[in-house]
Amino acid sequence: MNQIIINIRENRVHFWDSILNSYSQIFFSTHKSFAILIMLVSFIDIYTGLMGALAVITTSLAAFSLNLNKPTIAKGLFGFNGLLVGLGLGIYYTLSWHLVFIIILSAIFTLLVSVSLQGVIGKYHLPYLSVPFLLGMWTFTIAAKHFEALGISERGIYYMNELYVVGGHSLVKVYEFFNQAEIPSIIKSYFISLSAILFQYNVLSGFIIAVGLLLFSRIAFVLSILGFSIAFGFYNMIDANITMIEYSYIGFNYILTSIAIGGFFLIPSARSFISVVLLVPLVAILSISLSTIFYYYHLAIYSLPFNAVVLLFLYVLKFRMTYSEKLTEVYFQYNSPEKNLYTFVNNKQRYKHLDYIPLKLPFMGKWTVSQGHDGDYTHQNQWRHAWDFVITNIEGKQFRGEGNYVEDYYCFNKPITAPADGTIEEVVNYVDDNIIGNINLEHNWGNTIIIKHDDETYSKLSHLKKDSIKVKKGDNVSTGQILAKCGNSGRSPYPHLHFQVQATPYIGSGTLLMPFSNYMVGEGENASLKSLQVPQHGETIANSETNHLLASAFNFIPGQTLEFETINNNKKIDLVWNVKINSINLTYLECRKTKAKAYFDCKGDLFYFTHFEGKKNNLLHDFFIGCFKVQKCFYPDYILKDYIPLHQIFPRKILWLHDFTSPFIQWATSSFRVNYSSSNDLLNPTEIELNSSYQNYIFKKKINQTNYSIKIDTLGIKKFSIMSGEQLRVIIRKENHEA
Amino acid sequence: MQKIPYEKPVINRINAGVPDKFGMKSRIQPITQIDDVTVRDLVQQYGSPLYVLSEKTIRNTYKKAVDAFKTRYPKVQFAWSYKTNYLNAVCQVFHQEGSWAEVVSGFEYEKAIANGVPGEKIIFNGPDKTRKDLTVAIDNGSLIHIDHLDEFYEIASIVKNSDKKAKVAIRINLDAGIYPQWFRFGFNFENGEAWNAINKIMQTPGFELQGLHTHIGTYIISPQAYGIATTKLAQLTVRIHHKYNHHIQYIDMGGGFASKNTLKGAYLPGTDTCPGFDDYAEHITEALHNSDIPYDHMPTLFLETGRALIDDAGFLLGSVIANKRLPDGRKALIIDIGINLLFTSFWYEHNIVPAQHTQLDMENTTIYGPLCMNIDIIREAINFPVMEKGEHVVINRIGAYNMTQWLQFINYRPKVVMIDTKGNTHIVREEETSETMNQLDRVPEHLKSVNNDH
Repeated sequence: MNQIIINIRENRVHFWDSILNSYSQIFFSTHKSFAILIMLVSFIDIYTGLMGALAVITTSLAAFSLNLNKPTIAKGLFGFNGLLVGLGLGIYYTLSWHLVFIIILSAIFTLLVSVSLQGVIGKYHLPYLSVPFLLGMWTFTIAAKHFEALGISERGIYYMNELYVVGGHSLVKVYEFFNQAEIPSIIKSYFISLSAILFQYNVLSGFIIAVGLLLFSRIAFVLSILGFSIAFGFYNMIDANITMIEYSYIGFNYILTSIAIGGFFLIPSARSFISVVLLVPLVAILSISLSTIFYYYHLAIYSLPFNAVVLLFLYVLKFRMTYSEKLTEVYFQYNSPEKNLYTFVNNKQRYKHLDYIPLKLPFMGKWTVSQGHDGDYTHQNQWRHAWDFVITNIEGKQFRGEGNYVEDYYCFNKPITAPADGTIEEVVNYVDDNIIGNINLEHNWGNTIIIKHDDETYSKLSHLKKDSIKVKKGDNVSTGQILAKCGNSGRSPYPHLHFQVQATPYIGSGTLLMPFSNYMVGEGENASLKSLQVPQHGETIANSETNHLLASAFNFIPGQTLEFETINNNKKIDLVWNVKINSINLTYLECRKTKAKAYFDCKGDLFYFTHFEGKKNNLLHDFFIGCFKVQKCFYPDYILKDYIPLHQIFPRKILWLHDFTSPFIQWATSSFRVNYSSSNDLLNPTEIELNSSYQNYIFKKKINQTNYSIKIDTLGIKKFSIMSGEQLRVIIRKENHEA
Repeated sequence: MQKIPYEKPVINRINAGVPDKFGMKSRIQPITQIDDVTVRDLVQQYGSPLYVLSEKTIRNTYKKAVDAFKTRYPKVQFAWSYKTNYLNAVCQVFHQEGSWAEVVSGFEYEKAIANGVPGEKIIFNGPDKTRKDLTVAIDNGSLIHIDHLDEFYEIASIVKNSDKKAKVAIRINLDAGIYPQWFRFGFNFENGEAWNAINKIMQTPGFELQGLHTHIGTYIISPQAYGIATTKLAQLTVRIHHKYNHHIQYIDMGGGFASKNTLKGAYLPGTDTCPGFDDYAEHITEALHNSDIPYDHMPTLFLETGRALIDDAGFLLGSVIANKRLPDGRKALIIDIGINLLFTSFWYEHNIVPAQHTQLDMENTTIYGPLCMNIDIIREAINFPVMEKGEHVVINRIGAYNMTQWLQFINYRPKVVMIDTKGNTHIVREEETSETMNQLDRVPEHLKSVNNDH
């Protein structure tokens, strides 16, 4: 027991989160104000509210003492089913010690069901929704019929008395005002349906929940209205009346289905909305048929239709043969339709190729792509994502003189290097180099090296010069290491390098689409740095050069501490950011004081932040935006551009409006750019300054901008300044004076 | 017995060739046009003699050189050797192509700055740098290649009272297995002088040792020598890293690559014997790749190639002044190009050809310049066709050194014209006039009058 208490103390933040989030999770949310509103509504009937709270606390304590996954508990994912069972039982039975005991048991039972369901259907990446609540509720209502000690509550009937106890005359007046208000029946029954989620049947509760829903998410709010309206229309069509009690009591099924499908488990989009339009009538039909069956057992169907339809649909979506950008499942749940959508849009802009390995071009100097992807000659079908590289002179010719000998070709005998770290998987080094024009179809690939980069990524370098290969099977190679010389072996009429990435370790394997991490395209002043792109046919490309100063400044190693100081209102403030890594290998900076987290990734020469957790008024958030993406190559005046998810920096008031239309049309953008301004030495810089900024646009018209400047020296980031309008905020690295 | 006087041995190839049934087939291919502009037009428009530079050739040659190195080694930087040709237009072409500047005097340094080269992109070489030059170079953050200890002491005394650090490299001379060994510049590698100097620099405040520099000679036709030299500099780089944990930022292999001109006394023509950029690049980069320098800290490779980059782009056009038959029976041709304009004719057998189609008959000819000096000989003996007075000749591959080492002697120096990449011609240096010549002359008052009537 002591141990449990210690655990709870240690995890006090987690614990309170788990309680609040259990309330908001009813609507898939982790929005704090929304949670408080729902909690208040649940306490309109004070005893029911207490029973709900009891169930939540029981679930959390039980979950913590069972040592279940803490972030999952904190997100309220276990608690909300217990809460619903607690509220359901609390409203049916009169308050007694027996009931308290029953509710504790029901909460534990619901937790067991939740965790087990997570184990069973979680592996198919399906949520258990409120299935545990259904099982818990049915189990206990059936059993409770045999518990003589539990009395059926009459509170549901004498509502006013209860209200009077809680809030006196005024609350009763407000309550009645809402119930008697002259509002269209559809709106009234919408509010009632919302309140029914908490086993209530009144307009006021529904209204408060609707306000909370709007605060939480505009998309979810729109979806709730959409779902309900469709159901309303459908009932009208079949000549049934949704305003009737039995239908209203389950009206939330349409609302929850609509939110779940339209905006929560899927990225909100036109397609997800169309899905809602088709699925809600299905929920209605299911409600009617299931109610008919359940009637025989004297059971309410509660949220069964919602659970059934959403789970069926989500499961079926997993069997799609191709990935669709228009109807996409949410892979990382931010518990907000807006955040999910904006992150998705941003990911599309930022990470075209999500799981890349940082590939460098496998040669030195400027080479030209003589055959790109889907080439005219051999890069077709399953070998479409390959490149042929040659060296050309100014006139575009690959050879000097007549080009009758392999030695005439500029690329012949030039060093070929490892594109990334790896292990040599296969080496062929016995195929003779062809005479110009001849091809060797017997040994199609010629002399070849295959490097294993990870279990699913291999790269293949072919047509190498005979006897030029310096590595053998099993050797470890590092990026840029010379492996061989370019040759003319195999199906190669003239010297060139064939390069491809593949998923299997065999010579002849099909290709895999993989971008190069960083390279320069073009010559002289027209040269531009590309990152994570695919070189095109005819492009002249070269590797970019890593700048050691930038590379070491943005090389954050887990365990490292960054200490800065800043002045706020003439007061010196210390900032301590720890570099950490979590169990799934995500690296992040964590503010020691506020625990805000800025997640980052670093691949090859690219450093970039991925997402942020915590309050945005934190200076770590400014750093997160200011260094959103940094390229570790220094090319003076080079500008690197990127996009920031809207919810990170867009002015909130305008974003609210934008939220409503966002599933269909995106008219706001937040863009990021960093300018490689100056370095104090060309060969061995000891100070570099980068200037970054973000701009917010409405219909391509700029509305605001904030500038940042990042000064880097040999010890890392020396100074970080934020210039927003007239305001200037400077963060300076704390020098270790003892050293 | 009396000692027989020493005579320098010379072997000359017999140019005649093997006769076939049609007789001798040695024939000179005339150069009638340069980059599609005819020689006749050039001479008509700009006069004779005339220097012509081809911008296209400069750019092409430069790119060829860069590619030869960069496709073998990723970090390569060329620095244009100003002394080879410091006509502003020429320098600008190189700078536009990305080349830094390599200068060897305060004058050249000023020229580079005036050409808009940032101070930090200037390499300052040479044994003669004044205190003033050094102060400016340190201030601008230029790379100073120290030639001798006195220079080191001079820099030390400058930086002592300054908050600026001197960015330096040292010039090293070494045995690369070739003769002659240039040991008059820099510090010797084999006897430990270079290591001694490095230690002095590393231990003196105010210095930042960024590079190591060598320049093994000129017109080196054995690329292996560069490999040996590179290996030796790489050894020093590793040694500095071991002792001081200091990374050398660059290794400067200097210049000395041969152009395709034929040296006097060479048996075969330069076009057949001189290595190309690829040969030099192969040996230098191979030596770097095979060195013990840690991969993460591979130095930038600097090259100060001059001659091999510009020689091919220069042409000297002239006209026949007279034909003569010498008493010994030899034929002589006098042209308006003298050694004052073609300084390199002291060591090259320059290729000289007519600018128009000529008769097939050829005769062993001595070609003289116009100067009233016995040594003014362009070619001692060359099989040359008969040419009339006023006809034009072209000497190609003269881009290196001639436009810097030329002499104002007896005659005015002529115009220099550059043909741009589109075939347009531009004067990049005017001819000298009496005004230019008298500009710097000062005559004391008592010498101003010819009449001696005081």
